[in-house]
Amino acid sequence: MDMDMSRLKSASIVQKLREVIDPELGVNIVDLGLIYSIYSERDMIVVEYTVTTPGCPMRRFLQQQVEEALESLNQIETFEARVVWEPEWNVDMIKPDVEFFAHPPPKAQL
Amino acid sequence: MKAGKVSNKVLVSLLFFAAVGLITGLFSGLVRLGFLIDSPTQPVTPMAHGPLMINGFLGTLIGLERAAALEKKWSYSGPVFMAASTVLLLVGPVIAGQWLLLVGSTALTLVMSYLYYLQPKIYHLIMAFGATSLLIGNGLYLAGYPIYSLVAWWAAFPMLTIFGERLELNRIMRPPIWAQQLFGGLILAWIGSLVVTHIDRSLGWWIASILLIGVAGWLIKYDVARRTIKSVEWTRYSAICLLTGYGWLILCGLFGLWYGFPTAGPLYDGLLHMMFVGFVFSMIFAHASVIIPSLSGKLVPWNSYFYLPLILLHGFLLARIIGDIVWWPMVRKIGSYGNVLAILLFLGGILFQLIRASLEKKQLTAH
Repeated sequence: MDMDMSRLKSASIVQKLREVIDPELGVNIVDLGLIYSIYSERDMIVVEYTVTTPGCPMRRFLQQQVEEALESLNQIETFEARVVWEPEWNVDMIKPDVEFFAHPPPKAQL
Repeated sequence: MKAGKVSNKVLVSLLFFAAVGLITGLFSGLVRLGFLIDSPTQPVTPMAHGPLMINGFLGTLIGLERAAALEKKWSYSGPVFMAASTVLLLVGPVIAGQWLLLVGSTALTLVMSYLYYLQPKIYHLIMAFGATSLLIGNGLYLAGYPIYSLVAWWAAFPMLTIFGERLELNRIMRPPIWAQQLFGGLILAWIGSLVVTHIDRSLGWWIASILLIGVAGWLIKYDVARRTIKSVEWTRYSAICLLTGYGWLILCGLFGLWYGFPTAGPLYDGLLHMMFVGFVFSMIFAHASVIIPSLSGKLVPWNSYFYLPLILLHGFLLARIIGDIVWWPMVRKIGSYGNVLAILLFLGGILFQLIRASLEKKQLTAH
């Protein structure tokens, strides 16, 4: 049951993170391969993600968006969105056949 | 849990100083054209046009973008010194302002070099060379060299930064290794040609012009913009800005082959503004929808209004260049004023959309 709950939670987190779009590439961060792991650490959900380069200007924006996405999930009480640099991201981590700048493009967060 | 060592308010404050650099730089440009010529006092000296646009605006903005990416407090020293130098250049102690420009561009070079250290890839190297170009330009400026002899280094700063950024982003297009090496080779040779201009200005710029056409050709072939131009809203807009910007690079190269690298006069004016307005401002328009959220945390809602400043920017620039080549002072002047108008309309549009989105969000929250 716990395992099922955990899977359910993880699936809903992934689903929510799919709504976070990298505006530079027009693709959600899950399909871009930027989400490295989701796990529980002392009752806290930890999402480890990366950005496309250490100089990526979108880093702060993505941090904010990931945190807002996690905040919006009722099942999660405490969380941390953690940027990691290993392994280094590369284009082979992008989901195959992903559509860049798909239509409709990301809408403004109202 | 909120991350981020430096608050968005600090970023927005520095962004404000970048805007001050831009507005005063534009005003200074108008003063050069004779605006308020009969006024006994001019709030901004016409000599400050270049330093304010390159350092006060672009130096602060690009430095801020990198600092926000690195999230290290020391990395903010670049934009802070650039912002401080803007104030000094405006209020009077020019020499102190020039020293701060040197310190600011040194800090920016260190930041870019640190990025290359973190990830030693060609695109970071190109961006680090961009910051180094600014440092060289500012060093020559402080040493009292005439602007015409250092302006190519100033131009190289935004250009190399953009070239590096485009190469990095276009990894998704998976250009073949040989094509990436070719791009790196063209860029390095272009930097070399800028050095040659100090020995033989005509020869150096002739080589630089050919290489610039090569770089633009590469970008047109491999940039994702050729695909995304079929998209909609900001994505399509950005692609149009990118491709027209590359078009101006080609024109700039052809102009350089035909007229060389003048040291003053209308042809000098024309060449510089093809680079700075035609290419650099096209890139700024193209990246605004990404730069703004990266620094403010707010997405800019799309509106087709943004095509108006874009059309005005290119239309008036074309008029200005024709005015420069044929020497029609009035056409040149109208084109220049029109360019300022286009930039202000673009900025105004961005601000309007951000404020509108914020008000709509508040209304939604209230309900």
